[in-house]
Amino acid sequence: MFWRQSYRKRLSNKGDPGKIRSMKKQPKKLISFNIRAATALTFIIFITAVIASAFRKKEYDPTSAVRFDKINRDSVESAKAFLKVYSVLMSPRCMNCHPAGDVPLQGDDSHLHTMAPKRGIDGKGVYAMKCSNCHQPANTPGLHTPPGNPNWHLPPADMKMVFEGKSAHELAKQLVDPKLNGHKDKKKLIEHAHDGLVLAGWNPGDGRTLPPMSHKEFNKAWLTWLEKGAYAPPKAH
Amino acid sequence: MTKMTLKINGSDHTLEADPNMPLLWAIRDLVGLKGTKYGCGVAQCGACVVHLDGDAIRSCVTKVSRAEGKQVVTIEGLSKNNDHPAQLAWQQLDVPQYGYCHSGQIMSAAVLLREKADPTNQDIDDAMAGNICRCGTYLRIRKAIVLAAELQKKTVKQG
Amino acid sequence: MNNKQVSRRDFLKASAVSGAVFSLGFYLPGSANNAEIISVAEAENYGIELNAWIHIETSGKVTIFSHRSEMGQGVYQAIPQIIAEELEVNLADIHVVFAKGNLKRYGSQNTGGSSTIREFYKILLNLGASAREMLLQAAAGSWGVSKSECYAQGGYVFHKPSGRIESPKRLHYGQLVEAASKLTPPKDYVLKKRSEYKLVGKPLLRLDTPFKTNGTAVFGMDKVLPGMLYAAVERNPRLRGKVKSFDDSQTWKIPGIKHVIKVKMVVFDTYREGIAVVADSTWAAMQGKKALKIEWDDSGFEHLNSEEIYKRQNLALQTQEGLSFKSQGEASEIISASANKIDVVYETPYQYHGCMEPMNCTAYYQEDKLEIWGPTQNPDMVQEYISKDMNIAKEKIIVNLTFLGGGFGRKSFMDYPHEAAVISRQIKAPVQVVWTREDDATQGPFRPGISYRCEGVIKDGKIDAFKYRMAGQNNMHWLTGKKDAVNGSTSEGFLKPYYETIKNLSIRDVPFATPIPTMWWRSVYASTNGFAFESFMDELAADAGRDPLDFRRAHLNDERLHLLIDKMENVSGWKDKKKGEGYGTAITECFSTTVGEVVKVSRQADGSIKIDQVWVVMDCGWYVNPDTIRAQIEGSIVMGLGAATMHEVRFIDGKAVDTNFSTYQMPRITDIPPIQIHIMENDEVAGGVGEPALPPFAPALTNAIFDLTGKRIRKLPFSLASV
Repeated sequence: MFWRQSYRKRLSNKGDPGKIRSMKKQPKKLISFNIRAATALTFIIFITAVIASAFRKKEYDPTSAVRFDKINRDSVESAKAFLKVYSVLMSPRCMNCHPAGDVPLQGDDSHLHTMAPKRGIDGKGVYAMKCSNCHQPANTPGLHTPPGNPNWHLPPADMKMVFEGKSAHELAKQLVDPKLNGHKDKKKLIEHAHDGLVLAGWNPGDGRTLPPMSHKEFNKAWLTWLEKGAYAPPKAH
Repeated sequence: MTKMTLKINGSDHTLEADPNMPLLWAIRDLVGLKGTKYGCGVAQCGACVVHLDGDAIRSCVTKVSRAEGKQVVTIEGLSKNNDHPAQLAWQQLDVPQYGYCHSGQIMSAAVLLREKADPTNQDIDDAMAGNICRCGTYLRIRKAIVLAAELQKKTVKQG
Repeated sequence: MNNKQVSRRDFLKASAVSGAVFSLGFYLPGSANNAEIISVAEAENYGIELNAWIHIETSGKVTIFSHRSEMGQGVYQAIPQIIAEELEVNLADIHVVFAKGNLKRYGSQNTGGSSTIREFYKILLNLGASAREMLLQAAAGSWGVSKSECYAQGGYVFHKPSGRIESPKRLHYGQLVEAASKLTPPKDYVLKKRSEYKLVGKPLLRLDTPFKTNGTAVFGMDKVLPGMLYAAVERNPRLRGKVKSFDDSQTWKIPGIKHVIKVKMVVFDTYREGIAVVADSTWAAMQGKKALKIEWDDSGFEHLNSEEIYKRQNLALQTQEGLSFKSQGEASEIISASANKIDVVYETPYQYHGCMEPMNCTAYYQEDKLEIWGPTQNPDMVQEYISKDMNIAKEKIIVNLTFLGGGFGRKSFMDYPHEAAVISRQIKAPVQVVWTREDDATQGPFRPGISYRCEGVIKDGKIDAFKYRMAGQNNMHWLTGKKDAVNGSTSEGFLKPYYETIKNLSIRDVPFATPIPTMWWRSVYASTNGFAFESFMDELAADAGRDPLDFRRAHLNDERLHLLIDKMENVSGWKDKKKGEGYGTAITECFSTTVGEVVKVSRQADGSIKIDQVWVVMDCGWYVNPDTIRAQIEGSIVMGLGAATMHEVRFIDGKAVDTNFSTYQMPRITDIPPIQIHIMENDEVAGGVGEPALPPFAPALTNAIFDLTGKRIRKLPFSLASV
C-alpha cells in the first residue's frame, strides 16, 4: 500500500523523473511522507496508541512506530530485503569509503586509494592529505578526476563502520548496533538513506558505475528491511 | 566571466575569470605566479599544491571561485627569503633534481610540519604519498622533512 | 648567480658599457676531441665565432655558460664546478647562464647519453687552466715579476714573495681583465692532480637548488612573452593520422578563444596533424580543445593492439635468425645440437617518459626569424628539422634553453617545438603550446617494448654457447629512415669483457617495425637489454649450479669488474644470506659506466614481495660531484622500480590507452626501498652517471625473487603484490 501511494505520487508527476529527483533534494519531507503513508495505511489502529507516546516526547515520530511494531515483523522478508541493501553497500560506490583499513578504496575494482590518504580522527584525512584538498564540493568533470561532495569523508576513527570484508549477516548486525553504526537509532538509519554522501553514490562522476539498483529501489529495500524487523540474513550469506 | 578578488601571498589580486577556471591557471596565467606547477590536471600528482586557508589543496581541480575570500599561499609566498624550514632543509640536502614537483612537495611538507612538529616516518608517508616525484627524490624528501622539523624547533626556540 | 636568459650579444653589449671583458672559449673544428682554446682576438683572426665559455668582467664577476640542458642531472652545477677548479674561483661567485643552441659554437648540445661530463670534462679543465694562466701572466706583467712567483686563489692572483702571509700582494681577477684579454692562451701549463682538487670530487651543494625551492626556476612552461597566447592541440591519437574534418562551433562558445587552426608537426619521416585552439589562457585553450569534434583520417597504416605487437615479435624470434651484430665461434651449432640448452623469451613493455612537466614550447615567428624558448635537450635537432621543414635559415632560428621539468630522452625531439613554430607563424603572435598530461602520456614517441630470445648451453660449469636475439623497434630506424640496418644498440648494457670468455657467442637483431613511433628513454636499450642479458646470466648460473656473482666473476677477466664484484659482495652481505631472504644481482654497462646492483627481498604476511634493500656499486671513473651521482642513482632505482613493476603503455586499436597517472601509476614515497650507494674510486676516464644505474635494477630484483621463490619472471612489468 505504501508503494501504491508512492506510485500514485509519481503518476501525479506525470512520470517526470526530474520531479522525483527534485523531491529527493528534500529528504526529510519525503521520508515523513513515506513513513506516514506506510504507517497510517497499514497499521492505523496500532499507530494511534503509539502516536500519543511519540507526541509526549517531542513530536510525531513515525520511526519509533517502526521500531516497536511487533505485528509487522517478518524475518524472511526483512532478510531478503537486506540482501538487496547489501548488494548496494558492497558496491564500490558505498564500500570504497567504508574500508577495512584506514585507507579508502578507489575505482570500480575497489583498489586501495593510490595516494593512500589516511582516515584521521574525524575521517577527513590528515596533514597535506585531507579529503577536501582534492574532493571538491561537486564532482570534477572528466575521467579519473576526484568525485565531489561538500562533506566528503570516511567514518571517523572511533566509529569506522567497516563494510569491506563483511558478510551480509555481519553487516546487518553491525548496522543496527548503535555502538557500531554511529549511534543511529532506527529513525536516524532511515534518514541516513538520504544522507548527502549516500546519495553521492548515485552521482559518482564520469566513468564510475552506479550502484546495482536505483536509489529509489535501495530506499525501498532499506525501509522494508528496517520495517520488517531489521533481521540479519543467515550467516551463510 | 566574473570579476573577483583573490588574496594571494598577502596581496589582493583583482581579476576577471571564468569562475570554473581552476585556481592553478588563475594563479599562473592571470596573476602570473609561475611557481605553482601543472602536472596532471586531475589531482593525481601534487605539483599544483597551494595553501587555501592553510590546507594543501590541489589547485588544478579547485575552482577559482572556491578561493574567493580565502587566504591563498603559493610557493612564492611560503617565506620571504626562501627560508621556511622546509625550504632550508630542501636546500641543505639538495633534494630537487629537475625540481618541477618540489613547489608542491614543499607546500605539502609545510602543512605536515605545521600540524605535527615531530613527524614520524609514518606521518611523512601519510602526508606525502599524494606528491609524485619522477626523479625519485623520495628518500631525500623524507630526510629533509626530518631535518626541517629540527630546524623548525630551533627557530621556535630562538623566536 | 642568476638563471636569466642572456644572449651572448646582450652580454657583450652590457660588458662594453661596464668596461672591458675577458672572454675565453674554444673552437670546435670537428669533434670535442680536437677543441682548441682561443681568445677573442684569435677568434676574430680565424673569422669564427667564439663560444665564450668564460667571461670575467672588470667588476670581477665571473660568468660561465652551460651549453647543456639542466634536467635534474646536475650539469648546471658540474660545468662550473670543473671550470672553477682550474680557474681558481669560488663556486659561489660564479654566475651560470644557459647558452643558446648553436652547433657551430658549442658542438652537439644534445643532452643525452649521459655525455656532458664524459665528453667535455677535459676541455673544461683546460679552459679553466688556460684562463687562470693568462690572469697569472697579466698579474706578473703588471708587477714586473716572474709568473712562477704568482699563484691564483679565490678569484685573486697573489705574489708569493711579497708581503706577510696574512696580506700578500694581490690583484682581483677583475683588475686583470684588460691585460689578460690581450694575451694568447698558453700551451705550457700543468693540470692539477686529482689529489689537489678542492672542488671536483666534492659533494658540493648544487647552484640551482635555491631556485627550485621558492618557485623562481624558469621551466619551459613558465616563460612569458609580451602578448603571448596559449595553445592546446587535439592531435590525431595515431602517429600517422590526419585530420579529415572538424567542428569548432562549441569551442568558440568558450570565452577567450582567439584562433582555431589546423596544424601539423613533424614526427620523424611523417607528420601528425591536429587542431590547435589558441586562447588567452591555458585553461581556455584546454577547454576549447575538449569541445572540438574532429573526424580523423587514419587510413594507410595499421592500428595495432599490444597483444598483436608481442605476438608478432615473439613469432619473429622463433622463425627468423635476424641480422648479426656480433658472432664468434659456433653458438648456433652448439645450441642446436644440445639436449640441455636453455631457450627462453623475455618481454619488456613500451614505456612513456612521464616527465612531470608535460611537453610544452614557446615560439615567436616574425619576418622569417624564429625564436624558441623551451625545455629541450636537443637544440641542434630542433634547428635542423625546423629549418628544413619551415624553410628558415638555421642561424635565424634561436633556441633558448630553459630548465627542464624532466627530459629522460623525450625532450631530445623536434616535434613539439616544430608545432609551436607552425602555430606562431600562422597566428602571427608569440604562443606557448601546452600539452595536457593526457597528450603527454599517449602521443609518444615511446620507449620500444622489446622481446628477447636467449639460448645458452652450460658445459663444465661455464657458458659454452650464448645466443641472443632481440625483436623490437629500432630507434635508429626511425631517426635515419634506414629500416634494414642492424640495430647498433643490440648489445647495449652487455659487459664487453664477456666477449673474451664466451667463445661461442651470437648477438642478433631481428628487425621489427610498427607505426608506433619510438625513441630514446633513460638508459635507452640498456634499460631493456639489461633485463634480458642479466636475467639470462642468472638462469645460466642456476643451470650451472653456481653462485650468481661467482659465475659472473668466472666469466670476466677484468680487474675493474672484479673489484666491483668484490665490493658488491662485501657491502651487501651476499654470503651471509639468512633464511627467508632472497638475494639477486645484475651488472650492466651503460655510457662507459659499469653498475652492479644487489637487491634483497622477502615475502610479506599478505603474500606480496617486499624489497628490503638495494645496494648499488657504480664505477664511473673520474667524477665531479659524488652527491649528484648519488641523487642520480637514487632516481634511477625509483624509475627502474616503476619500469619493472608498474609501467606499460598499452595500445588498443593503434592508440595508447593509459592517459594519466591514475592508470599509469608512478612510484610514490611509500614504495621506495632503502638504497645504499658506493662509488668506486679510480682515475679511469669519466663515464656517464645520469642513466647507468637504471638497467641492472629490474633483473637484480627478478633474480632476487627467483632466489626467494624459485619463480622466474620473464615479462615486465610484474606486480610485487602477486608474484
